[in-house]
Amino acid sequence: MESKENSARKKKIVSFLREWGLIFAIVIITLVATIIRPAFLSGKNMLNILRAYSTIGIASIGMAYAVIGGGMDLSVGSTISLTAVITMLIINNATVATVAPASAALLALLVGILLGALVGAVNGAILAVVNGRMAESFIITYAMQIVVGAIAQAIVKGNFQAAQYRSGLFKQFGMGFTPVLFMIVVAVVMQFILVKTKFGRSLYFLGSSMKAAKMAGLKVKQVRFLAHLICGMCAGLAGVIVVSRVGSASVLQGQNYELDALVCVAIGGTSLDGGSGSILRTVLGVMVIGFMMTALNILGVQSNAQLIVRGTVIVLAVALDVLNKSMKLREVAQ
Amino acid sequence: MRSKVSVIKRFVNKQPVLLLFIFFILLMVVIKPTFVSITNIKNILIDVSIYGVSALAMTIAIITGAFDLSLASNFAWGQIFFCFLLNAWGESPGAMLAALLVMLLSTMAVGVINGLIVVVTKIPAFIATLATGIILKGFSLVFTKGNMVSTSNPFIKQMGRGTFLGLSYLTYIFIGFVALAYFVMTYTRFGRGLYATGGNMKAAELSGINVKLSRFSIFVILGFAAGISGAMFVCLMRAGSVLYGTDLALTCVAATVVGGTPLTGGKGSVLRTVVGILLIYVLYKGLAFLGLQGYYNTMIRGIVLLTVVSIDAFMTRGERW
Repeated sequence: MESKENSARKKKIVSFLREWGLIFAIVIITLVATIIRPAFLSGKNMLNILRAYSTIGIASIGMAYAVIGGGMDLSVGSTISLTAVITMLIINNATVATVAPASAALLALLVGILLGALVGAVNGAILAVVNGRMAESFIITYAMQIVVGAIAQAIVKGNFQAAQYRSGLFKQFGMGFTPVLFMIVVAVVMQFILVKTKFGRSLYFLGSSMKAAKMAGLKVKQVRFLAHLICGMCAGLAGVIVVSRVGSASVLQGQNYELDALVCVAIGGTSLDGGSGSILRTVLGVMVIGFMMTALNILGVQSNAQLIVRGTVIVLAVALDVLNKSMKLREVAQ
Repeated sequence: MRSKVSVIKRFVNKQPVLLLFIFFILLMVVIKPTFVSITNIKNILIDVSIYGVSALAMTIAIITGAFDLSLASNFAWGQIFFCFLLNAWGESPGAMLAALLVMLLSTMAVGVINGLIVVVTKIPAFIATLATGIILKGFSLVFTKGNMVSTSNPFIKQMGRGTFLGLSYLTYIFIGFVALAYFVMTYTRFGRGLYATGGNMKAAELSGINVKLSRFSIFVILGFAAGISGAMFVCLMRAGSVLYGTDLALTCVAATVVGGTPLTGGKGSVLRTVVGILLIYVLYKGLAFLGLQGYYNTMIRGIVLLTVVSIDAFMTRGERW
């Protein structure tokens, strides 16, 4: 009897953490950081955090698609690097007298998204054909990361590219509230697709059980392909915006993006086993990570030590998800 | 005559990757006969030996249905900590032995943590070891402040440079571990338990095998192997750094798969992995030998991994429904 009460209480805590934990975390981090440095709460700092993490946000939204469908995409980081260097090549070549023309900006945006889509399509095609599970998605997309990263290196010979423009439409992509706006638009569209379309519902079904999805007559291969295609497109878009925001491009631009995206997705409560999750929560997860990393910077924690925090956060987020699942199973059994 | 054809056909169907590699080696021999010089073979075998020890452990893990992505970080940590201890404790034989043992205990402790996370919390091994790998990398960077740690210990130098019958000492260490791994996996109850666990975890548990213990011990073995590889690497380079051997985990997976051990678990052999890692290094060194440098070399490594794993996954695609 007592153990039942105990487990009920435990369940309440876990589900409370899952429902409100993200917002709770944001509030606590903000409070602590503000007490130590009051400037943390200023509008300028908030906008800075949002802007800096909007590209990780866009990449995370794409990653959420791959993860919900029961896969994973570790090639996101290299895809961002590749689109970054190519975007910069296009813009720098089109720049006349330090002004980047609007047409070049739109072309760069289009090329960036298409490049991302191409990498995503290769990932998706291979994984659909070999019927890969998490193990296969992991290694195959990791290998893609190596290949795409090397292609980016080969294109610019490893050189750092600085922006040659001073003004123009392209600069606007990364200024002020624009990157955040990009993220919000992507989030709304992606959430809509996920919840309101047949493809979105198929993706959840596929992620929770590929076998059942196939037996139910779903076009499993097509859905998987599309999920990875969308993931790649998001990475491509993120790559373009990163270049505009930072004003330079290098082959290391996207380094660790796949890990950050994975952390944000996991923190957002999307099960890494696939089959559940939401875009809104992923965006909240991005905010938590953004606030936390900025707070750590303010507290003077070095980037090397931040790796330790990142890893620990992944373990905790996934452990919470596993705990929640085992409780649900026990509940069903009872 | 007919049976011979069918044997070849079966070989091509079952081992397409192996065939590709053999073709490549023959091609190398024709294009650049100097590729098969004694020094070159000796050097390839040294690299094979260092990564090989870890590859054996990774194969055992894959057979058991587990996986370790923190292996590369653990390997780097092993190098760093070994150099640090060698410098701190001096050059007497007792001190060097103590340094080796303490370093191995530390890398095995990482394995214990991995094992506990995977077995107790049931987090997938991929995610858990990805995370612990990041944590350990961060820890190593904090520990070294991002610098390389080097050692000038004369015994270590001799271990890396010395040869016996034309082969490096390190190669004999590898051969010893191959024999040990083969013996354990083939002739002991423990080894057969690992095969059973990887083949069908439920069936293994019902037949009385302690599945949890099997899975846990795998991670400790992986930690041990990472430490041994780290020590061997220090003998060769006389230094340790977070930047050395970041490709270890995935190279070990590639070697396992090229050898013919499927990622699905329950099947395969450590001897196959020896063939696998030999072939991979002949390819890598061959490309370097042809004058292909830098990012093209990296690109081809990626393509090799991609092709090999895709072919393996394609062959076993039916088993995953």
